[in-house]
Amino acid sequence: MKEPLLGSFKAKPEPGEHRLGPIQEIHVPMRKYSQDEEVDFCIVGVGSAGGVLLQRLARAGFRVVGLEAGPFWNTERDWVSDEAGSYKLYWNDLRITGGKNPLALGANNSGHGVGGGSVHWAGFTPRFHPSDFRVCSRDGVGVDWPISYWDLKPYYALLEKEMPVAGPAYYPWGDPHGYTYGPHPTAGVSNVLVNGCTRLGIGVSIGGPVAINSGSHADRPHCIYRGFCIQGCKVGAKQSTLVSHVPDAINYGAEIRDNCMVSRIEMGPQGRVTGVTYYDPDKKEARQKARVVIVCGYAIETPRLLLNSACPGWEQGLANSSGTVGKYLMAQAGNVVMGRFDELIRMYKGPPANSLTEEFYETDPKHDFARGFAVQTVGPLPIAFAKQMMVAKGAWGWGLRRVMMDYNHWAPLGVLGEILPWEDNTVTLAEEKDQFGLPVARVTFNLHDNDRKLINFATKKVEDILIAAGAREVVQEQRYAHLVGACRMGSDPKTSVVDGFGQSHDIPNLFVCDGSILPTQGSANPGLTIQALAARTADYLISERENILEGRPFSRISPPVRHDLSPEGTSGRGVPRLKGTALKVK
Amino acid sequence: MSAADFNPNPIPEQGVYSSAVAPAKEPGPTSAGNKLKSNRIDGIIRPATFEEPGTDDEGPVENLPVDVKIGQPLKSRAQPGYYPGYNTLSQQKFWDEATRKVVLSRVNEVPPIRFFTPPEHKLMLAICARLLPQDDRDKEHKIPIVNYIDDRLYHDRIEGYRFEDMPPDREAHRLGLEAIEAIAHKMYGHSFVKLGPLEQEQVLQTIHDGNPPAGEEIWQRMSVVRYWTLLMQDAIEAYYAHPYAWDEIGFGGPAYPRGYLRQQNGMAEPWEKDEQPYPWNAPPGSPSAGYKPLGGASGKQTPVGQEGTH
Amino acid sequence: MAQALSNEKRRRLAGGTVENRSSGLAGLIEETLPKAIIRDTTIVEQHIREGQFQRSLALVTGFSSLLGGLEVAYEHYRGSYSQRIMYTPVVLSGLLALVGIWGAFNRRVARRLLPVVSGVMGLDAVVGFIFHVRGIARKPGGWRIPVFNLIMGPPVLAPLLLAISGFLGMVTAFLRQEEDLGLDRQTTQSYGSSNAKPNSSRLTPWGVSHEALTLEQDIREGYFQRGMALAAALSALCSGFEALYSHYKNNYKYKIQWTPIVLTPLLFAAGIGTIWSRKIAHTLLPIISVLAILNGAVGAFFHLRGILRRPGGAKHPIYNILYGAPILAPLLFAASGFMGLLASLLRRRD
Repeated sequence: MKEPLLGSFKAKPEPGEHRLGPIQEIHVPMRKYSQDEEVDFCIVGVGSAGGVLLQRLARAGFRVVGLEAGPFWNTERDWVSDEAGSYKLYWNDLRITGGKNPLALGANNSGHGVGGGSVHWAGFTPRFHPSDFRVCSRDGVGVDWPISYWDLKPYYALLEKEMPVAGPAYYPWGDPHGYTYGPHPTAGVSNVLVNGCTRLGIGVSIGGPVAINSGSHADRPHCIYRGFCIQGCKVGAKQSTLVSHVPDAINYGAEIRDNCMVSRIEMGPQGRVTGVTYYDPDKKEARQKARVVIVCGYAIETPRLLLNSACPGWEQGLANSSGTVGKYLMAQAGNVVMGRFDELIRMYKGPPANSLTEEFYETDPKHDFARGFAVQTVGPLPIAFAKQMMVAKGAWGWGLRRVMMDYNHWAPLGVLGEILPWEDNTVTLAEEKDQFGLPVARVTFNLHDNDRKLINFATKKVEDILIAAGAREVVQEQRYAHLVGACRMGSDPKTSVVDGFGQSHDIPNLFVCDGSILPTQGSANPGLTIQALAARTADYLISERENILEGRPFSRISPPVRHDLSPEGTSGRGVPRLKGTALKVK
Repeated sequence: MSAADFNPNPIPEQGVYSSAVAPAKEPGPTSAGNKLKSNRIDGIIRPATFEEPGTDDEGPVENLPVDVKIGQPLKSRAQPGYYPGYNTLSQQKFWDEATRKVVLSRVNEVPPIRFFTPPEHKLMLAICARLLPQDDRDKEHKIPIVNYIDDRLYHDRIEGYRFEDMPPDREAHRLGLEAIEAIAHKMYGHSFVKLGPLEQEQVLQTIHDGNPPAGEEIWQRMSVVRYWTLLMQDAIEAYYAHPYAWDEIGFGGPAYPRGYLRQQNGMAEPWEKDEQPYPWNAPPGSPSAGYKPLGGASGKQTPVGQEGTH
Repeated sequence: MAQALSNEKRRRLAGGTVENRSSGLAGLIEETLPKAIIRDTTIVEQHIREGQFQRSLALVTGFSSLLGGLEVAYEHYRGSYSQRIMYTPVVLSGLLALVGIWGAFNRRVARRLLPVVSGVMGLDAVVGFIFHVRGIARKPGGWRIPVFNLIMGPPVLAPLLLAISGFLGMVTAFLRQEEDLGLDRQTTQSYGSSNAKPNSSRLTPWGVSHEALTLEQDIREGYFQRGMALAAALSALCSGFEALYSHYKNNYKYKIQWTPIVLTPLLFAAGIGTIWSRKIAHTLLPIISVLAILNGAVGAFFHLRGILRRPGGAKHPIYNILYGAPILAPLLFAASGFMGLLASLLRRRD
């Protein structure tokens, strides 16, 4: 076929239509709240956590406003199937990065626009292991969570249905369980991982768990295996809260104000927050009053906002009596190890996230370091791959041209290694100001001994896998992935910012719910955990309805799991699977 | 194939993770940051001054890669690479409209030079011609790398962060040009643009290796290896975003609404081409042909990867 | 002699019925369809009754439905059962397989339950076909990129393959059991009265009932060669079309992948040709059918080998069966061949 039937594809611009995919649309006009009206919840940042919270709270009948610094994407119009053209999906405002092992920010992590980082995550959705919640008691490193795996487990299962997550019917690691949708077919890179692992006798999970449709899901189509996951899935097959939760939130009366950058949280008398101040799309200052403010800005913007909201009585920043706001920032070791094969791989085909092994996830007494790592498939497109080759091989000039001509012969695998929470890994305020005159964030990051040993071991192991799979040459690039921490949850108000529900220890009607509350982060991609935590926080807030409306103190009692608040079309789908063991092992 | 034939590029036990920031001669990050601040106090970034482009241009120097089989230079061609006849642009009717607009405007509406001054532009052209040489491309199919870099700097589009030991991108580029010119003078006594391709590569190699013989004062203000990655990244982002480069490396290009159907065994899609590799070597003596560790063999400055992959 | 006589008798009987019924619906059909087909369809009831291999065909129905059911079970697993309706062909195929095999041992099941389940199966297949057409339309690009979306979307003709099992089941229900030949009048009457249709026993050629016949002769009693050949042709077409595009997905990496593609039009032509030509029914049809059966067996072997050669091979059996070459698909092609072979052994009216 030289061209599609009826000629080239054209967008059908219809005024007022808001498209989220080839067949998904938002139909209803969005509800608008007046700025003077005190809404029940103001959510700062409509990303992974914010989207889920917005949907749950709106469905439960609350008046909810979500403020998002980026645009409310019309995916058919705004997103492109192009690497360089997807620049606008990322948080590109200035941040300063430093320390002994500075992190690359920007495209690497936080998102910008409704859906946030979930718009450009690769979509790996493994659960954390039960051991992740008790790192300190088990391994004597890091810190324990205030909640256990078993508190979060029902929310994992719920979100896996809502996303939905595709993967094997039996997933052996951590708390064994099965996935809602069937696994995906493999492509070149995952074949390499499977081959290498099988030859070394390492277990491997093929075709998931990933939040990518392996069957159509209501008005979200099946994946078309195009490999542009981290450029935003125009198909709507990969989950982002933009396509999975936001439409339902709008249907139930939530309001999203896009291009609105929150500059500070307003403190009122009686030690409670009263709302937020933000810059509207015209860069004019505006206010929104709210009974409860939930900050969902992710690991850099959340501490930055709390620190920028310093006011008399809270000179250290809001909710920062412990001094831990901005501390214990974590990234995961995300080294990419690349192998060159004689045969063609064509790594750009198929979603980069496909297969993984968590065989090395847990602490192994044989190793000289605590905790572990996962190995996952990745699929950099040409620009990303060239940059990796520039670092990994020191390629430039003719050397770069030559190695890039072999683009289709390389298979890259990603390490995902746990880096422990350290006090000297921080988010602070820099002297530079952004376009609104707000101090930008300064991120300081240092590796410690355990982290270095873990990374060295992990990259060596991945090299072994690639060589076992038949690689002729193996190189590696050091990098980091998945920022979390910096507003961590804990039982002790002296060493943590929020409790297990995301409620700040200091200010009862200020919540934080996003990746920044994670006390440790295992070696699983945090996306699913962030959304599951958001669903749990939402259930808590809903169960505290009376207390919120009357302004009374919260009960801090674990809420019942609300299975009835899932987005439209969640139930009645999926394959037979293992629901997970009822036993609380270990 | 024995294990010894593999080149697993092991990470040195020491060094890689110990200090990714500074070689001994550089000040620590904090003091570098202070220096930069004072440098930017008036908020004006001044273009570096260079030798004016001379009128006695020697014309393009022959710098072609070599066909290994016959030992002769490869002819310039419309499409280098192992996928002759493969053309992503021919598939544009299968792309969605938003993507088609973005890619076609990249190809057809090359942005003008607005950030670099004419001498800077000339120097930048010479540098980028070595960072990603295109001597094997014919004139019509060269990718205008510098224009895309200029466009980014003109609009001050940043990647969302700045290393604390680096000045802002615009300033870094200007400082870097100044330093490269200084190195060229120190090593060969001429302006960079007047050097032969191999000499130019030697100049750039010193920055790649984190060991520039000149511009001491500039390298006090920014990290050598971070400047190199900035420069290379900009060149890479311009070159490998272009459909001509996709054709060269056999990348599938945009894929929506039509995705890929052949995922196994590296098979070509019906509209793709099978690989037809030809053996070639870089021009004899080219330093960039050998892969040396970025930041020098000591690994002191091994930089962090910049790209989001997982 | 007795055989010829009874044939003559039967022919008269059947012909009379045709005349009786040629008004109304049959008359309408007569104007729109080739004469040969009309004659067969209008007297199909009687003709099928001539067949006396209900047991055998019930087993065939059962096993083909089992194959189809397994195939659809994992094909829909790959589609993640993202809609509850995707379970219906799995359940129905299972049921049909069960009822088919049960029907081989129990006449009441074969006569009463089998046609109901078969009918529902057929209906479900049509619904499935519509859903698959819609599924392709809802993929990005929809029917405007038909090649890509036919290959990557729901297999559009696959539901019709299941309808073939339904068809076989329907046919089975109208057949007589092998033992009926040796039964006395009393039993036959009770069997006749158990039938939903009134006066059915009147149409039964009792004259042959006491003749000792071999199994082959039993099959020859069937008069619906045309119907069976048509079923074989359609089944081959569906199955072959699946092979065409799934092998295209693999870019015909192995030459042998072309063989089902070559055999499909031949089997289809032979099946269709049988409607008009007795000669084809006796020559081309059995030859091609046997080739198709062999090809299916060879295909199943290569598909199995393909699965074992996948990354992880036998270490990841479930995943590799799921996403490797579909091991049952060649057997479904072989089933088409089997139907063709069966058709060639059947009798016909000219």
